[in-house]
Amino acid sequence: MPGGGRCPDCGSTELVEDSHYSQSQLVCSDCGCVVTEGVLTTTFTDEGNLREVTYSRSTGESEQVSRSQQRGLRRVRDLCRVLQLPPTFEDTAIAYYQQAYRHSGIRAARLQKKEVLVGCCVLITCRQHNWPLTMGTICALLYADLDVFSGTYMQIVKLLGLDVPSLCLADLVKTYCSSFKLFQVSASVPAKYVEDKDKMLSRTLQLVELANETWLVTGRHPLPVITAATFLAWQSLQPSDRLTCSLARFCKLANVDLPYPAASRLQELLAVLLRMADQLAWLQVLKLDKRSVVKYIGDLLQHRHMLIRMAFRDGTAETEEEKEQQGQGQEQNHGEEEVGDSSLDLRKGKRPASPALLLPPCMLKPPKRICPVLPVSTVTGDENISDSEIEQYLRTPQEVRDFERAQAASQASTSVPNPP
Amino acid sequence: PMTPITPATPASESSGIVPQLLYAFKSRKIWNKNSENIVSTVNLGCKLDLKTIALRARNAEYNPKVRLASIQITCFPPLSSEEQSRLAARKYARVVQKLGFPAKFLDFKIQNMVGSCDVKFPIRLEGLVLTHQQFSSYEPELFPGLIYRMIKPRIVLLIFVSGKVVLTGAKVRAEIYEAFENIYPILKGFRKTT
Repeated sequence: MPGGGRCPDCGSTELVEDSHYSQSQLVCSDCGCVVTEGVLTTTFTDEGNLREVTYSRSTGESEQVSRSQQRGLRRVRDLCRVLQLPPTFEDTAIAYYQQAYRHSGIRAARLQKKEVLVGCCVLITCRQHNWPLTMGTICALLYADLDVFSGTYMQIVKLLGLDVPSLCLADLVKTYCSSFKLFQVSASVPAKYVEDKDKMLSRTLQLVELANETWLVTGRHPLPVITAATFLAWQSLQPSDRLTCSLARFCKLANVDLPYPAASRLQELLAVLLRMADQLAWLQVLKLDKRSVVKYIGDLLQHRHMLIRMAFRDGTAETEEEKEQQGQGQEQNHGEEEVGDSSLDLRKGKRPASPALLLPPCMLKPPKRICPVLPVSTVTGDENISDSEIEQYLRTPQEVRDFERAQAASQASTSVPNPP
Repeated sequence: PMTPITPATPASESSGIVPQLLYAFKSRKIWNKNSENIVSTVNLGCKLDLKTIALRARNAEYNPKVRLASIQITCFPPLSSEEQSRLAARKYARVVQKLGFPAKFLDFKIQNMVGSCDVKFPIRLEGLVLTHQQFSSYEPELFPGLIYRMIKPRIVLLIFVSGKVVLTGAKVRAEIYEAFENIYPILKGFRKTT
């Protein structure tokens, strides 16, 4: 070996390069001592022929799950466990997440979107098993915005070509109702407020069914109508003690959030019940209002199918003109009913109020604004455009100066820090 | 004189309802937006300084944060025909010319048309999503209407419980009319309440 090299054992300079199983070694030819062991790789020029492949380009990379995906899959499992879902759900949700991850758009998405995707996969799994989980619940658990959730959910359903069944209303009622803390006496729930779970569930289901039949559910968020129905069910099971309790207070003592539209749903449901009550002679006499009708909800529900048929006429089969005419006629009738002393009534006995139109509330309200019918256009698109008309669209130099000044002023005001 | 194109009545029963078309337009460099929409593009054939245009034109608004940097110009009352849309586009090209840019008027094209109408009866959306699930998306937790993606013609319809229908995604008005004539018998099928 060129250059000074001595064997550490015998001191000889006769060192020879040898390759032992292709590992190069420097060996003392006198005593056989291995002086140095070469590195296993060859020199740089030799490597050119070896076709080394970087790990990221080898097949090993695609078989491995990226850290980001692993994190997502862990989150899916966590969410399933927090929701106490059956174990099989976890596998399905995991499979959906993996399926989603095969799409480059998902892999490249922001962390926020990937987090929301976790919720989407769990939700889709639940829907397919008729497990009543709302988007609101998932968003609350993930601290996610419903708008962000909505976008990702719609995207992933389309991307994976999934068929997601609708939320089952009856199942949602059962789950949601059971979450009301009303079935045992507690610090906030006195004995007179405690209710039997099965009775409450059964009556709530009937009220929700009634709401659905009378167009109070379609197109609306499902939860507020169930809140209103639960409240009415609870009140009607012991009205003497519970009529004084408001919807807001009810939700508070039951430890359930009050969704904003629930108050409106409650009024709509009570209006339907009042119309039904008007069909029963013995109730019509009592001249019920939205408070007193609650006492008779049990009876009304018992005969609800017949009462709906009597109280409402099919709004779908009528034209708008007919609706207007009958609407006016009905108003007149109603006036007579209220006065209650027309000779007709005395002869035939009390008649039930004439049927109201069975329509979604949005069709019963008067239109917010009149939609103008646009006049027929005779424009060809090739008309001459005069210079003066174009001048109208340009700012004068003074206007430009004013605008620039206003812009500068508004920018200055937004950059000023808040006073301490 | 132009007359509105009404759909030819086929031998079978037609709905008798004509969707009302709503228009606005957008140019590749200038964006004209109205509350109701046709969207079209025109190539002005030259580079534009959007900030200058927004400063010197009266009803223009510059929005640099939007991915496709654009200027919005509001047009009122709504444009009710393709011809009006084209005339409006030509006027904008003239405005840009007046501001000193060598704008031409190339490749004017209607990109999107929106129509709306009212079948005047309520619709059970939960029933429609069951029978037409491969085309429908109804998520009342997110949006009150049912989103129906029709394949032929390729139109997206928003169907509401009130019977109001919005149709979008058309390049020509015939697609709007055709889509409506396709959906009307389906909606009629959900007319009975029970």
